[in-house]
Amino acid sequence: MTDVIEIHKLTKIYSSSFGKKNIHALIDLSLNVRAGTIFGLLGPNGAGKTTLVKILLGITFPTSGWTKIFNTAISDYTIKKRIGYLPENHKYPPYLTGEEVMIFFGKLSGIKKPELRQKIKELLELVKLEKWKRTKVKAYSKGMMQRLGLAQALLNEPELIFLDEPTDGVDPIGRKEIRDILLALKSKGKTIFLNSHLLSEVELITDRVGILNKGRLIREGTVKELTERKEEYLITFDPDSTLMSIEDLINGFNLTKISELVYSLKVADITELNRLIDMIRKKEVMIKEIIQQKNTLEDIFISLIKEAEGEVK
Amino acid sequence: MRNVFIMSLFTFREALVRKVFIFFLGISAFILIGLAAAFSLIDTEAITQFANPEGKDKMIREIISSLQLIIVTPLAGLCLLLSIFASSSFIPNMLEKGNIDLLLSKPVSRTQLMLGKYFGGILVVFVNIAFLVVGVWSIISLKFSYWEFNFLFLIVIITFTFAVLYALIVFFGITTRSSIPGMMIAYLIYLVLSPVLLLGKDKIHLLTESEIIRTLIKGLYYIVPKTSELMGSISLSLVMKAEINEFRPIISSFIFLIVIMIYSGYLFNKKNF
Ligand SMILES: Nc1ncnc2c1ncn2[C@@H]1O[C@H](COP(=O)(O)OP(=O)(O)OP(=O)(O)O)[C@@H](O)[C@H]1O
Ligand SMILES: [Mg+2]
Repeated sequence: MTDVIEIHKLTKIYSSSFGKKNIHALIDLSLNVRAGTIFGLLGPNGAGKTTLVKILLGITFPTSGWTKIFNTAISDYTIKKRIGYLPENHKYPPYLTGEEVMIFFGKLSGIKKPELRQKIKELLELVKLEKWKRTKVKAYSKGMMQRLGLAQALLNEPELIFLDEPTDGVDPIGRKEIRDILLALKSKGKTIFLNSHLLSEVELITDRVGILNKGRLIREGTVKELTERKEEYLITFDPDSTLMSIEDLINGFNLTKISELVYSLKVADITELNRLIDMIRKKEVMIKEIIQQKNTLEDIFISLIKEAEGEVK
Repeated sequence: MRNVFIMSLFTFREALVRKVFIFFLGISAFILIGLAAAFSLIDTEAITQFANPEGKDKMIREIISSLQLIIVTPLAGLCLLLSIFASSSFIPNMLEKGNIDLLLSKPVSRTQLMLGKYFGGILVVFVNIAFLVVGVWSIISLKFSYWEFNFLFLIVIITFTFAVLYALIVFFGITTRSSIPGMMIAYLIYLVLSPVLLLGKDKIHLLTESEIIRTLIKGLYYIVPKTSELMGSISLSLVMKAEINEFRPIISSFIFLIVIMIYSGYLFNKKNF
């Protein structure tokens, strides 16, 4: 698999006028994103998520470091033919209708007429806006704007799609619909770069996530890697077992009683886990289930951010 | 090229939404109807008879050209005033947060975006002026059955005058992201600086002994676009004699336009959004 996005030692400093101190929006950030995956960039407000995407797209320029998309520097604007972007707080000329907005951006993306018409129809149906296509966008609600934004980002059948808070202002059903659209895109081999602070949503669809705080990428990996508590298991025993014998094991293992039938186990590795299981089974105690303990992405996120804050202070 | 064209068309579309241009087209239409009505009452035969036989052709020609100029000049001036007002928001609107991000994510270069807005604005003014000039010209020509095409040069020269001022508006739009500064500067040049400098460069020796002030005024005169001359003596000589009496104001204004546009393009290409 190839890397669609390459980011190398990227730093962005917004120099503010009036002698206030400069804002370090991104600090020495390196990151690669594989083709055909969904990458979620998480971070609190002001972490630098939008700044990163804007630099990748050539909307803003880095202070130092470089980025490449499809192995090409973004200064070659023609590669944007293969990219779709849904900005946060996007605005359209208010005097255009939804359909006209699509025509405008479609033409700018270089799509020819008959094809464009078909594509617009398809996409407006996909995001459920076909009833509103003749309405001026100034009359659109927030969620409708977001749907239109998603539709225009998909006009050119992009191979790589950047979405900055795509579900912002969208109702729960709409969010589910958007998630399904994204998963469908992924199954077609598209790469998706998602900015969000809705952790539970990101957890549902992303392959890899990065956590950004104050311009620094403090963690990066698969959702599984980040949320797994590798060495922790929850073991539930069958009620008919004689649990007396279990208590004997506690000495040999790091086993804590949580409730009558449930114990929490901390082990060094799987061998140790299996050793325990063998001993339990030898005593003919019945195991009902063993669950590997997980953190939610939210737990990890909050603890990481807190940890980082601690370092800063 | 295609991208510039698309941007221009949608700028034209934006202009139609701004009521100012429609308003001006309305005024023009109103004046044209009035003119047609007035002429249906006047006996042009009498005027043509009045001209003495040998100088007849020349005289009719002068009467017609003057008549056309008298009607069009104040309207063209008004058109420029309104156009400066209406077009000053094109660039700031494009640069609005959320809008420029979208545009820049499309396979379009920044230079194409800027030129699209530039030519779109010029196209609007061209249409407005062409409607007025061609309208007045055809009514008068019809009435006198005398067709003199020189008058149509006015379309080019007025559009060019706007193009020079609009370059400044684009420049200030890009640097300040607001419509007011560009509009103010354009008005300042069009209404004050250019007329005053035109007068001043010849009369300055009467007013001051100071070499510095004299050089300053002369220098300013050469830099500031010469809208007064474009709209005044150059238009007049084009319409009356079909020739350009002086090329320097045109060339220096054109150089001004090019320099400003290149510099604006340079700044726009470097700008962070
Ligand atoms: N144009 C700008 N000029 C100056 N500072 C800016 C500019 N844009 C962003 N910043 C600053 O850079 C930092 C990162 O902003 P950014 O918009 O990238 O954050 P974000 O992670 O997208 O936040 P959010 O979740 O609120 O959208 C913030 O401190 C912000 O104030
Ligand atoms: Mg953001």
